[in-house]
Amino acid sequence: MVRASPSYADGTMDSSISADEEVSWKRVLWKTQPYPDNYVPPEVFLASLQRNAHFQPYTYWPLVVLACTITQHIAVIFVFLATFVNLNEHLLDPRTLVWICVASFWLTGKTGPHSWKHTNNYSDSNNNHLKALKSSIMMFLTLIALSPVLRTLTAATSSDSIWALSAVLFILNILLADYTATNARGEAHTRLTSVLSMNAAISASVVLASRLATDVSVFALILFAVLSFVLYPILKPRLQALSTSLWILITASLCSVCVYLLTPLSTTVTALCAFVLFSITFIAPILIVWAQQYKNNIRGPWDVAVPKVR
Amino acid sequence: MEKLSIAMISDFFHPAVGGVENHIYSLSANLMKRGHKVIVITHGHPKGRVGIRWLLPSLKVYYIPFIPIASSATLPNFFTSLPYLRTILLREHIHLIHAHASLSSIGHEGILHSHLMGIRTVFTDHSLFGFDDAASILTNKLLVGNLRNVDAVICVSHTGRENTVLRAQLFDQDEKDPTKLTMRNNVYVIPNALIAERFQPCPPPPSDILTIVVISRLAYRKGIDLLVATAPRICARFPHVNFVVGGDGPKLIDLLQMREKHRLQDRIELLGAVKSNDVRSVLARGSIFMNTSLTESFGIAALEAACAGLYVVSTRVGGVPEILPEDMISFAEPDEDDVVRAVSEAVEFVSAGNHDPFVGHGRIKNFYHWDHVTTRTEKVYEAVMKSPQMDLMERITRTMGLGQFAGPIWTIILIVDCIFFMFLEWWIPRDELDYVQSSWDDTRFRNVVIGQTLGDGPVSPPTALTTIPPAARPLSLAPTAGLHGKPGAQSVHCLAMGARLGAAQ
Repeated sequence: MVRASPSYADGTMDSSISADEEVSWKRVLWKTQPYPDNYVPPEVFLASLQRNAHFQPYTYWPLVVLACTITQHIAVIFVFLATFVNLNEHLLDPRTLVWICVASFWLTGKTGPHSWKHTNNYSDSNNNHLKALKSSIMMFLTLIALSPVLRTLTAATSSDSIWALSAVLFILNILLADYTATNARGEAHTRLTSVLSMNAAISASVVLASRLATDVSVFALILFAVLSFVLYPILKPRLQALSTSLWILITASLCSVCVYLLTPLSTTVTALCAFVLFSITFIAPILIVWAQQYKNNIRGPWDVAVPKVR
Repeated sequence: MEKLSIAMISDFFHPAVGGVENHIYSLSANLMKRGHKVIVITHGHPKGRVGIRWLLPSLKVYYIPFIPIASSATLPNFFTSLPYLRTILLREHIHLIHAHASLSSIGHEGILHSHLMGIRTVFTDHSLFGFDDAASILTNKLLVGNLRNVDAVICVSHTGRENTVLRAQLFDQDEKDPTKLTMRNNVYVIPNALIAERFQPCPPPPSDILTIVVISRLAYRKGIDLLVATAPRICARFPHVNFVVGGDGPKLIDLLQMREKHRLQDRIELLGAVKSNDVRSVLARGSIFMNTSLTESFGIAALEAACAGLYVVSTRVGGVPEILPEDMISFAEPDEDDVVRAVSEAVEFVSAGNHDPFVGHGRIKNFYHWDHVTTRTEKVYEAVMKSPQMDLMERITRTMGLGQFAGPIWTIILIVDCIFFMFLEWWIPRDELDYVQSSWDDTRFRNVVIGQTLGDGPVSPPTALTTIPPAARPLSLAPTAGLHGKPGAQSVHCLAMGARLGAAQ
């Protein structure tokens, strides 16, 4: 039995409380109840409120492994920038870069179809190989044909604008990129933002390439951009799903390559890059783990239900 | 209680249509019936609906010339309506304002400004909101600040009250256990009501076909996905069951696709938007009402259907479980299989002839009535009028308690509002205002109208004419008699007029 507490039973509100004390309060609207409208038994009020339901706290090391995907993304961008500077300063022969790219294409083509699609028989996989070969030859030829155009694309624009533009585009690329890990089956669903991100990166590399001196170096840089901003993000979630140790190994090697390439160019940039990579991998997860104490997720009957439709 | 002058303030009012609009109108009409003076303040509408208009039972409506930005709501800016509101509230001698709907910025402004004129405030919240998306966070923050110093809050269901108390932080924390919340004692629950006479049940049509009625806005929140998933399964399971779907919205295309895919064109009828006057006739076509809503504060549609004698199947969400006793409504979880289960049980129950539409109607007539709602609202008004008015210092202290950042911001708004008000007091002094001297007198209106009836016969309803003895009819009524005798005469005259106009052109 519930009794109206004096603080709620404002004498003017309802005089019949004392007469009808036997009736207990019910959470219904259709019944005329002998309680004032502002009354609610304290134990019933918000009884169905759930705080942090289905909440699984994050732990540090799994977060570090997940953060590696962001680290890799930024490392790839710095590697690309270092390559561009090397090409621009004639420290790197563009032909070497082309051969590196061709080798990487061949490698991904070799491992690609097996990890991308589960083909049943040999001829099918052979077919896929042929298709991949054809399309990559097409792409090579198009890029070669385009590189003189790309080289003079922004000849009338000052270099300052190009640096600023490419910086903005790369930042856009970092912000919009899809960092989600795939599920067990390795299915990735493309979102609009990840496409935008890829486009931003390619545009950035095109404007950077237009600063280079020779057609071969433009071709090499664009090839490298396609490799690192189009093919690698497709490959990345599958590598992540493959094995954690391989994943960490790749992250570590990408970071080392990045630092190795940057060191001869500028100490400041190297320090900055190393700091960014370190803080994203190791300090950002600490912040998330620390911020979890403030999590206050409330659920109740007023929430929009999620329909279960098969 | 003593008679009050009440101003209902909301962005949502006639000519827009909807639940809040109906609620304000019915509540105002019933309060007037009990002798209070009620006006409505809302924003203007395009094509010149600004200024003062009168609605039928002598309800005065002020349309302030503001433009709605989205979904009939005005831009939330805290000061712009003060000049209008001050003049209106003062000239109408208002004692109390009653703001409606938490997304109505003009209602919030009313709450913010009223204390300057010593007017008391009541707020009614009609809907449920979440906590976790950006729009909710923003509107909830606004609500917290606005309802900090309100005198009373009314919600339409117990679930709605819990939601509003959490959103607007209308609670005090227990000193011993900070996670335990105690509600403030000025938060009331007064349900919506319906006019039961307008939802008279009629006996089901004598045929083997059983019709399931769905009337709803076709939007995600109304669970149309569930309807799309379950309707073909129900049709496949019961060959004698048909659907009638009334309503319009973004999910209409999904329904059309479903109907085409399963070739159910002859069994699922889509009516499009249904006017509120036609709801009853649509309901009368069926024997089961299906409500698949995912969130619902009160569920008036389900209640109207039950009142019209339909067997109601609804999802167990929000305030719907509170509106009817367990034996009058059957529930399903928002899950495809469970909805099919509940509807199948309902079809079997109704097919077996176990459901009597008239029993349900008789019970609901006693559950919900506008008279009850009005007396309960009156009690809230009475409690508010008896409670002491907060002075400015107390308001500032309470507002500062809103938080480290929100507190000072809201206090600045409060103080700037006071300064703006003082400026207006100087600019438009009170003794220059055009005060309302006399209010609507219903008996006088009736006298005048009946007097007019005697003068100009043609505008009067025939019933009024028949009450007058033939000998007493003045001479001017002679053409009217002809009109009644020969209905064609007037139209022939009109045609002749049309022909003459056509010739003139």
